[in-house]
Amino acid sequence: MSDRIYDILFIADPNLGEPEVDALAAQVQGLAEKDGGKLQKMEKWGKKRLAYDVRRHREGYYVLLVVEGTGAMVKEVERRLKVTDGIIRYLTVRVDEELRKAERRKAQRALGEEKRRGRVGHAPARDAEVQQ
Amino acid sequence: MSSQGMNGDSRSFGRPSGRSGGGAGGGAGAKGRDGKDGGGKRYFFRRRKVCKFCADKIDYVDYKDVKLISQFVPERGKILPRRMFGTCAEHQRKLTVAVNRARHIALLPYAAD
Repeated sequence: MSDRIYDILFIADPNLGEPEVDALAAQVQGLAEKDGGKLQKMEKWGKKRLAYDVRRHREGYYVLLVVEGTGAMVKEVERRLKVTDGIIRYLTVRVDEELRKAERRKAQRALGEEKRRGRVGHAPARDAEVQQ
Repeated sequence: MSSQGMNGDSRSFGRPSGRSGGGAGGGAGAKGRDGKDGGGKRYFFRRRKVCKFCADKIDYVDYKDVKLISQFVPERGKILPRRMFGTCAEHQRKLTVAVNRARHIALLPYAAD
């Protein structure tokens, strides 16, 4: 159960300095790890223009954490994100299922292509195809 | 109807190519609609749209990929119907989810102006 992967993306107040944003990111990471999460990736996108105003801000500092952990962990992280000053918006998304599906797709496609290649040059064996 | 005929892009609806023109060139679509050559008003020849996600083999529509998503969302930020971009049902569904997520974190607008 604990192999769920979540994107935790939050927008920090643009008025904060870089060290403060780093501190926030570290704080979130610490929270996740406290509840048994494992950080897979951290991305700082830097200051970006928001598509619309969020809490009177036109810009925001985007930080993405990809964490492996449980639902309880996310619940706790979300609760804290909500009350943390300096975080103006956050989004958590479970991604492992979708990614797994995508991977399976890719594998299947590779298989299908091989089959097609195999058919080239051979007489179309209709019966064999039906059986498959 | 053999099962081969059902393969993906050969599902041409109003298109003349399938029977007559067939293999040669393939691009000679504007001619000979259902056998009626020449005379009368000719319909607009519309190229069949192909789902970009299928064509590019994008299995996971990522909400973080603004560059990709914004191709399917006009300036105003509306999600347009499938017929506009020819996305397949599956990918349109995924696109919608991705757009909504991107909107939440202010990567895309809910509505501009």
